[in-house]
Amino acid sequence: MDLETALSRPVQLDGYEGLLRGGLLRRRAELRKCWRHFVSTECMASLGVLAKEVELFLSAQDAFRDWRFAVTFGWMNCDASFEDNLRQIALAHNVEHRPSETGPEWLSVANFNKRSKNERIEVLCDRYRCPLNIGLPSESDVAEELLRQLMVPDRAKIEAGKEFDVNMVLLKLNLVGVRAMITRDLRFLDALNYFYELLRRSLARMRANPRFLASWLCIYAQLLCTPEWQKCV
Amino acid sequence: MRVAVIAGSISGGFRIVREIDGLPGVDVFVVACNVGKRSPLPRWSREFLLALKSLDWGALAVTAYRYARKGRLIILHHILDDATSIERLRSLQCDVGLHAANVIYREPMISAFGLGILNAHIGILPGYRGRCVVEWSVLQGDPTGITVFFIDPGIDTGKRIVLREFIPSRGWKRVEALKNMLFGCDARLYRKALEALMEPGVQFGSNDTAKGCRYYVMSKMFKQIVNEILTGRANLA
Repeated sequence: MDLETALSRPVQLDGYEGLLRGGLLRRRAELRKCWRHFVSTECMASLGVLAKEVELFLSAQDAFRDWRFAVTFGWMNCDASFEDNLRQIALAHNVEHRPSETGPEWLSVANFNKRSKNERIEVLCDRYRCPLNIGLPSESDVAEELLRQLMVPDRAKIEAGKEFDVNMVLLKLNLVGVRAMITRDLRFLDALNYFYELLRRSLARMRANPRFLASWLCIYAQLLCTPEWQKCV
Repeated sequence: MRVAVIAGSISGGFRIVREIDGLPGVDVFVVACNVGKRSPLPRWSREFLLALKSLDWGALAVTAYRYARKGRLIILHHILDDATSIERLRSLQCDVGLHAANVIYREPMISAFGLGILNAHIGILPGYRGRCVVEWSVLQGDPTGITVFFIDPGIDTGKRIVLREFIPSRGWKRVEALKNMLFGCDARLYRKALEALMEPGVQFGSNDTAKGCRYYVMSKMFKQIVNEILTGRANLA
């Protein structure tokens, strides 16, 4: 069969969307039952006033917020801090943002990777103070690099039982999750699936940052209820 | 055309040789790499076990002996990127390398071959680069198959595609079995690629990375969905 013939023939999905939705909702039900195993009582206590909301969100039925519209006007500015905005997104609340006429300078992936660990965290938190910006087309290179880092070196370290940078891995998981919410790219969703399945190996260390851990699980819970996933192109 | 099969084991190399040996105009060499930098005892124990596992170990021994006698079986003692390994390969003056080892090639190794090193990638390029591309193709309802292309140091980013063959996934219920079938097609497709390369005025397809994505290892959950899709299709057939 030649290339043209194969591509011109409509591909039967054989109920793929239904199977995908079924699989995601099964995982959501599993997460609803067992999230307390991941976010320990001590973690919950350290979340302070946020604890109740996280508990309600992870135990509740299938809530999610559709952020696709938010990125239609380009770069967004926020007054609140990165952590506050991330929490709002994770709990499917609104994020106060206003469109900006100009975005920041293009971030070179090569230069980003040359920076120290702390600098990289700072750069990401600063650039994505409004985390929805990670979903913009202009941020594709950075988002792809974060996905690559998660799925290649970070995954390999966790699977080998080696030390890894908890804060950085959780930050990347949160940003990759927000990107998945906006672009509906299945690869970004699957990175969260993969790390959820790896949690038993990394849990003890992941609990070192209960806020990022909780926001990641809440974002993941939303993604599992999100419909209309797109084919990656 | 001088061709070297770059193999992770002697038996793995001769599995490819069986298909391309005797191809008119092709001189074949087998380069057995020391993947994982094994010391002699584990390395040769592994080679011996792999040879025993191959269904036709008698024929393998005879062919290997024939190649060794003619100086066409090269055993590398160092890793592939080592200067001595690169120099040894360069001395063969091969036009094409055939990838059959679980290694990543760096530029000095690739440039040791006149045309480059071919890879039989079990996905359709430029759409599907990276890992688990069979699973991702099934999940997204795209055709499965194999692309033979000249590698570069990136992950499936080599620009020159020699051929693409679509191999349907229909009828396969488990993705691992489907992948094993596709992996097993490499020797036949290398033969087709070499035949295409020897034709006058050969034209390469373009591996335009902007038209595809890099994929990564797939989660257990998605793999289960892929198997459900395959099973559903097979039952319908």
